[in-house]
Amino acid sequence: MKQNKFVFSYLLILLFVLSSCSTNLKNSAESTDPFESLNRNIFAFNKSLDQNIVSPVSTAYVKTIPHSIRKNISNHLEWMDTPSTIVNSALQMDLENTILASAKFMLNGLSFGFYDFDNNETKIQKKDLGSTLAKLNVPEGPFLMLPLLGPKTARDFTGTLSDRQNLSNVSSNSVNKLSLVEIPVNLVDKRSKLAKNIENIYESPDPYTKMKSYYIQNRRKNVYGDTYLEDKNNKLDIEFEKLLQ
Amino acid sequence: MKNSYNNLNLKKVLCITLFSFLFFQFLTSQSYSDNVKNGEVIVQKMIADAKQHAVKTIKLSPKERSLKIEILIKQFINLDFMARATTGSYWKKATNTQKEKYKSALLKQIVNTIEEHLNTLATLAYKPLKSEARGKKLVYVKGIIKDHSKKIPDVNLLWKLAKDKKGNFLVLDLEIEGVSLVSSHKAETMAILRRYKGDFKALLNTFTKSE
Repeated sequence: MKQNKFVFSYLLILLFVLSSCSTNLKNSAESTDPFESLNRNIFAFNKSLDQNIVSPVSTAYVKTIPHSIRKNISNHLEWMDTPSTIVNSALQMDLENTILASAKFMLNGLSFGFYDFDNNETKIQKKDLGSTLAKLNVPEGPFLMLPLLGPKTARDFTGTLSDRQNLSNVSSNSVNKLSLVEIPVNLVDKRSKLAKNIENIYESPDPYTKMKSYYIQNRRKNVYGDTYLEDKNNKLDIEFEKLLQ
Repeated sequence: MKNSYNNLNLKKVLCITLFSFLFFQFLTSQSYSDNVKNGEVIVQKMIADAKQHAVKTIKLSPKERSLKIEILIKQFINLDFMARATTGSYWKKATNTQKEKYKSALLKQIVNTIEEHLNTLATLAYKPLKSEARGKKLVYVKGIIKDHSKKIPDVNLLWKLAKDKKGNFLVLDLEIEGVSLVSSHKAETMAILRRYKGDFKALLNTFTKSE
């Protein structure tokens, strides 16, 4: 059964790598969006789900749960994601991040990640399979708006699926059941943190395009770091200088 | 005799060229460093004003707060530039009235986007990081919003400034955590314009509906 899961996850990777081949869009401002009309429908579905269910739950969560407890929950959710950062930092040959993430994971493991003993002093760069694929020059692929999961590129969606699949492969059944509880908690926690930004997106003239633009810019910054920012700014500088003439 | 005269002339020419070159370099670097300083001063002033504004307007309703911050932001941004940068080639096709309406709608959108960040400055600390001249006209001012209680993660800001036609230093773009305000507004505006085949009137209607 576990063998099948592995085969499934790597078939998915292959599928998306093949589907997203050809151009590398790292430097272009926009991502390709061949499924725009379908994506817009899914965005409308996500928005209504968010406004009717997730947002009220998230508001209640913020109002009823004290900040310190929310912080502990948030710490724990981040801690649960750390193994993926450790593995992918190692795959990307980022030794410093691998060591720091491992040390932090073990230290905070003393409280199952609920308490951050380091008090966020150590800056760890989050890494997932999507960023590893990017380092291997796998193109972003088309932009996808996924039900419940929100915006992703094909490459990052493959990474997310594979990260989840690998976690369930290496962990016990009880951890798998726990992750079923954690997914909605994570959703509510993230929603509460991004509440103002999400409201701002909904109020804009074209919320779908705004969310896409925010996601693409933010994701590229996280994946490529300063190289992407420098390339993007060099291009914008030329455009700005022309407009200033 | 003629040879030594030629040598002397050549030396003079070389000296004058070298001196002019060095003088020009000195002037350029001086003007670049002046630009950087001016850029930093504008950003610092904007942040100081935003802090004051956040404290003064704390008891007002969100709508009144937005109106007041709109006036403040208008003083520091090059709205004309932003309007042209976000509409691309469609800008030339718009009438003067449409251009003015678009500018005021864009200002509202910008206020919506950055208002929250400016309001948080009242309780958080802004730390300038690095400033640099980019090309002949642009100045980048980098800074970070820090929450010493660590409830909110650090927010990296990058202000892009340049002189306008009147010689005032104004903000052209703001990047919050690598997300450019102009780029995201451009993506949005262009998507609407493309959908309505470049009809500026339709763009303005979409903006009005969202207000």
